[in-house]
Amino acid sequence: MTGDSRTPGRETPFDLALGKRLTEAQWTRREFMARVAAFGLTAALTQLLVACGQAGASPSAAPATATPAPAGTIAAVATPTAAPTPIPDPEPELNVYNWLDYIGDGVIESFEEKYPVKVNYELFDDIYAAYEKLGDDGNGYDVSFPIGVDVPSFREAGTLLKLDQSLIPNLANLGPEWSNPGYDPGNQYSVPYVWWTTGIGYDTTRLEEVPTSSNVLWDPRYRNHISLMDDYQETMGLTLIQKGFSANTTDPAELDQAIARLTEGKPIVRTWTNDTISAMTGGDIWVGMIWGSDLYQISLENENIAYFIPQEGGVRGSDTMAIYSGAEHPIAAHLFINHMLDAQVSAANTNFIGYMGPNLAAQEFIDEAILNDPAVNPDKAILDKLEELLDLPNDVDKLYLDRWQAYRAG
Amino acid sequence: MSHERNRWLAAFAVTVYAFLFAPIVILIIFSFNDARRVFVWRGFTTEWYGRLFANDDLLDAVLVTFQVAAVAVVVSTVIGAALGLGLARLRGRGRAPAEMLLLLPIVTPEIVMGLSLLLFFLQLFDSTGSFGQLSIAHVTFCISYVAITVRARAAGMDPQLEEAARDLGDTALGALRHVTLPLIMPAVVAGALLAFALSFDDYVVTVFNSGIGTTTLPLYIYSAIKFGVSPEINAISTIIVAVVSLALLIAWRLGAFRGAARTPVAEPEAA
Amino acid sequence: MTSTAIDSPGAAGLRERAGDRLRNALLVLPGIGWLLLFFVVPLAFIVVISLGRRDELHRIVLDPLTLENYAQVFNPIFLPTIVQSLYLATATTVVSLAIGFPIAYWISRYGGHRKTLLLVLVMLPFWTSWLIRTYSWMIVLRDNGVVNQALQAVGLTQEPLILLYTDFSVILGMVYGFLPFTILPLFVSIDRLDPNLIAAARDLYADGRQAFLHVTLPLVRPGLIAAALLTFIPAMGDFVTPDILGGGQVTTIAKVIQERFLDGRDWPYGSALGFVLTILTLLGTLVALRTLRREVVGE
Repeated sequence: MTGDSRTPGRETPFDLALGKRLTEAQWTRREFMARVAAFGLTAALTQLLVACGQAGASPSAAPATATPAPAGTIAAVATPTAAPTPIPDPEPELNVYNWLDYIGDGVIESFEEKYPVKVNYELFDDIYAAYEKLGDDGNGYDVSFPIGVDVPSFREAGTLLKLDQSLIPNLANLGPEWSNPGYDPGNQYSVPYVWWTTGIGYDTTRLEEVPTSSNVLWDPRYRNHISLMDDYQETMGLTLIQKGFSANTTDPAELDQAIARLTEGKPIVRTWTNDTISAMTGGDIWVGMIWGSDLYQISLENENIAYFIPQEGGVRGSDTMAIYSGAEHPIAAHLFINHMLDAQVSAANTNFIGYMGPNLAAQEFIDEAILNDPAVNPDKAILDKLEELLDLPNDVDKLYLDRWQAYRAG
Repeated sequence: MSHERNRWLAAFAVTVYAFLFAPIVILIIFSFNDARRVFVWRGFTTEWYGRLFANDDLLDAVLVTFQVAAVAVVVSTVIGAALGLGLARLRGRGRAPAEMLLLLPIVTPEIVMGLSLLLFFLQLFDSTGSFGQLSIAHVTFCISYVAITVRARAAGMDPQLEEAARDLGDTALGALRHVTLPLIMPAVVAGALLAFALSFDDYVVTVFNSGIGTTTLPLYIYSAIKFGVSPEINAISTIIVAVVSLALLIAWRLGAFRGAARTPVAEPEAA
Repeated sequence: MTSTAIDSPGAAGLRERAGDRLRNALLVLPGIGWLLLFFVVPLAFIVVISLGRRDELHRIVLDPLTLENYAQVFNPIFLPTIVQSLYLATATTVVSLAIGFPIAYWISRYGGHRKTLLLVLVMLPFWTSWLIRTYSWMIVLRDNGVVNQALQAVGLTQEPLILLYTDFSVILGMVYGFLPFTILPLFVSIDRLDPNLIAAARDLYADGRQAFLHVTLPLVRPGLIAAALLTFIPAMGDFVTPDILGGGQVTTIAKVIQERFLDGRDWPYGSALGFVLTILTLLGTLVALRTLRREVVGE
């Protein structure tokens, strides 16, 4: 990696900064590892004792799981969670960076009650701006929520901390499907948080028939009431899939076809926005691209709104939780992630934000309405057909963006 | 002055003020809306005001926003007014480059300014955001606005007035204080008001230069776009408007606005 | 230092006294210093980045330095975008001046002792969040919004007018956002007009319009220029209003740059674009200023 050259005189300011940060982080990691090792030993010993003696009664100062251990919880082997194993003392603070309202009601409070940690919970509205803010190592934030497909590049760049899974026993709660995601085998650097699909939302009172194809977004009957996403990958992706190509294609000819198709429909599109919720609630938009769980939110207030995934196929994605390499509160961070993986907490998250989680154990606590909503929780058969939007290589990105910006400007 | 013209102009003024306040009225009304989303009127409720006061994050954001704005306004007004005034009087070769420098922050895209400051602080101070950094960033984009406003007024000012003061024996600095300053004061106030508006609402530069614990109101609100802006934000905006209006009313009654904005040809006050 | 006759305000012939130069320098120094340190130096960082490229992990690679980003800056796809940005900014400035000038004039002439209060009232809406005000406009302009409902109630229209997500809503939103930036500098300039001068002009010229054109207008020129400047240039950089109120119908150059920086995660290219835009705007502004100022004595 040329950017990493450490020969004197060729070091860039960024190398210096990165190097400095990594060094600091490593020191913290070393300290952290030492602590964990020490307690790990104690934990192991204690478990031995417990196994021989009696199963753990009094919760120690820091009980590791959610309050009433629900009967059907997949505790797998459950030993780390049930037994009152002393876990390392978490730091007194934790810095979390997330979307607004992307966490269940009371989840942070319940975490703060369990552990003597004060959570500083900060918000962002644009994941790419957030990535810049988080920089090479978190820039002060311990935990954030990168998109799944971005994890590999962050991992390689050393931005994420390798997880100590012994502190995240609730990983067992994930179903088999999520225990080994393609973007992060073994969940070594990230933990799945929620997943979603991108589809099309529509007002049933305005559309003349029930749509099944993404071509409805090109239907001249709905002129001036159509919205597409202001996201080049999502919108071009939808069009590419419509044309039978992959949403991540690198073929310029295919991209040209997609753009041509988009340009055809441009005159009847009313708005390009990711805030489809507002657009549809306002009544100006009758049919538009929307994230499934966003639609769930609208449908709570307006039963006339429905959702479908185009028969041609669509896009899915997932958000993950990750700890950043510069985290100053790594133990608290691990405990927080573990807390989020707790069955009931995960269910609380889903119930509040309307996005499905990857947590199998949580399913029994999730609202029926969500579980049965095809927008939020489509059949596996449908899910398998969907593609994930990948982090495109630079030169390919340029192919997309050049065309997209020309299409938008023209 | 014909009364006809007077009336048309007055009517026009009323219309413009109505235009300025229309969205404010809407936002106040919707702060009492009984619906999570701000868009459709469902019924009356004061629920959001209650929730607002329990919403520490939002309240903190408001506080930080005002703090940063206060610092930004004070510093940028002082420095900017001095800059504008000096530039209006400056002669010589330094003038053209100084004017270019003055224009630079205004012509630079905000994202460039925001990211450049982030880089600057990261490299030199290893900081990725803090109250100080944010304040400095805000001052930086405010200075030019103040300077240009003040410069316009100072440039149009009759320099004979200052001359007169000098003739009467005043020093360079004294003439400034006794003659020029009072005359350009409206421009300084205008500049300060502009600076406040700029700082209070700033988003792009702020998002890259705020640190942990320095979330401002715009940052908080923008993060809400994804899930719909909660009426709590309408509630806080309503409260701010109410408080400021009240303060203005009191200040007015106390005569704070008398004679502050003068017509020209004011006599230089005797030292 | 020789003294020369003084005949008109701002005459270049004003003699410079001892201490003037020092005083002016001292006045200007803090501002210049601040801008140099906190603006120019950071900008230099951006220029350095623009000479790099990003690697596959989205990191910035500065070794070797390259000009390839600049080579790609003048991509023809940006031309319609720039034209659209110019159009929006110009429309916004013209409308703002058209509205701002009468208001500033009215406040100055008829405000009396309430002048400052009236000015502050102009600013009052800006003590609320921009986003909320914009959403409020959406409530007013949308298909089933206040305006359309009123029109239909009165019977003037049957179908809702398409007001939101159009050029109209964008310009309305932008004018709304920039009006204070127009009104304040205008007011500052108009307010210093000597009513005696106006009265005299009125005596000289047959009608008010002539008096206005030949006396008032030239005198408020600095304010007009300042107002135009402080409206047009930021309007060129406003991409959020066209996005939200315009539904993205119009793509602005600022948005393009933002997208390259963030969505495209390509700082080097974004930096090159941003830097070029900055320089071009700066040059354009300087040229415009010089042309406008040439007629003003002593500026």
